[in-house]
Amino acid sequence: MLSDRIAIVTGGASGIGKGIAMVLAQRGADVVIADTSIENATDTARAIEKLGRRSIALETDVTRRASTDAMVSTTLSKFGKIDILVNNAGVGGGREWWTRSHSNGDDWDRAYMVNVMGIVHGIESAQAHMKERRAGKIINIASTAGRRSVVGFVHYSASKASAINVSQAFALRLAQFGINVNCICPGLLWTPLWERISERRQSHLPPDQRLSPREYFLAQVKQQVPLGREQTPEDVGKLAAFLASDLARNITGQSINLNGGSVKS
Amino acid sequence: MELKDRVAIVTGGATGIGRGIGEVLVRYRAAIVVADLDADTAERTASDFAAMGVPSMAVVADVTKPDSIEKSVADVLARFGHIDILVNNAGVAGARGWHTSADSREEDWIAAFEVNVKGIANATNAVSPVMRTQRAGKIINIASIAGREGRPALPHYSASKAAVINYTQAVADELAPFNINVNAVCPGLLWTPMWDQVGHRYARFNPRYEGLPSRQVFDTMIQDVIPLKREQTPEDIGNLIAFLVSEDARNITGQAINVDGGAFLR
Repeated sequence: MLSDRIAIVTGGASGIGKGIAMVLAQRGADVVIADTSIENATDTARAIEKLGRRSIALETDVTRRASTDAMVSTTLSKFGKIDILVNNAGVGGGREWWTRSHSNGDDWDRAYMVNVMGIVHGIESAQAHMKERRAGKIINIASTAGRRSVVGFVHYSASKASAINVSQAFALRLAQFGINVNCICPGLLWTPLWERISERRQSHLPPDQRLSPREYFLAQVKQQVPLGREQTPEDVGKLAAFLASDLARNITGQSINLNGGSVKS
Repeated sequence: MELKDRVAIVTGGATGIGRGIGEVLVRYRAAIVVADLDADTAERTASDFAAMGVPSMAVVADVTKPDSIEKSVADVLARFGHIDILVNNAGVAGARGWHTSADSREEDWIAAFEVNVKGIANATNAVSPVMRTQRAGKIINIASIAGREGRPALPHYSASKAAVINYTQAVADELAPFNINVNAVCPGLLWTPMWDQVGHRYARFNPRYEGLPSRQVFDTMIQDVIPLKREQTPEDIGNLIAFLVSEDARNITGQAINVDGGAFLR
């Protein structure tokens, strides 16, 4: 499906990003793991090499344009081209956001810089190469929270709504160059982010009334997801692989919910 | 995206987009039931699919008549014993002669609603008990980008397709506890017999396209409204459906997805 394709996944070392990177590799792509944690990125790159694909780890901070520029130029020098860019890097908020019940200024700033500007920087760094080749697939990871605001998580929800909008803007701008830009809105996935959300939501309860983070998460799944099951990083990877393939050549500008039916518009 | 031994019913499956969807599902080795009003064409399409090496059968089905589609479902069960995929593709742009009128006529509203909305409900009602028992199933409803935003042209058709999107959301919730995924696909601009008629209508009633042959109306409209500047094909629609009915999309339900080169952004 993706043989000989070169893909970059930002935030690709862990969580959803790792799931995406692994599925892209399983479908034949070589994958660059761009992440703030070079140690974790290196581990994931090794896991991809075990699948028989090429992979490199790059220490990347998507909040800085210079860093995404370096990500692109290093990828080009190692692999010669970029077919697929997955802008997945994201944060729940500022430093120790999960210890606060309300958003502070730092939460707003970090959510905007990573979840929105991270996408903008990734695309702006990669677009010249893709335009020149008149080919490219860009996939941005937003969230169900961008479709319907999550109470108490307003900075995050707003940033993800913005990620959806940014995806539309670049889809319109880059269509004339044969570049597809789409967005995925994942629902409830057991990742480091959700572990923290579980802690945060129960922080007001006496310790003996708290569920374990995993139990709290599963209770949310039962309550919110019509299909009654959690979504997984692999699910996101499979949709990303489809969107990055020629099978989806006429799909662009779309934001697709992957949430077991919890939100439908 | 393996679909080997999955039994897929495609309504309106003998020609146009429906046949194109069947052709893609054949590539993934699904068994295809061609359900159509037109018995001869359905038989021909089914034997074409069989010649490609998959089990295939034709059933004559009028989706506006619950009895008709229920009989088809019984015939499919008699042959295959299970139904894994239902593609509700059968649709009309209006009543006979709709394209010769500048305005939607009473009969156009009725035809659009009877086929495009109630037809989907009838087929879903006939198939979903089977899927509930199986605790597994995939239903795809073909809507249209016309259902995303009301437009002056074809209000009866647009409204019926908006209803398809809404119906998809309701049924997705209803069937989710039974491990059944229900999604809608909204095709953009495809050159089909229906669009040939749309083109005639635009050439006649819309000053921008006045007097143009319908294919030229279509090509002009691609340039006007499709950011990727190319037409979509039945194969594009089939590709998305093959993904949605595969286990790759097991956690996607209740969604409507545009295949339209970026004409509508959701």
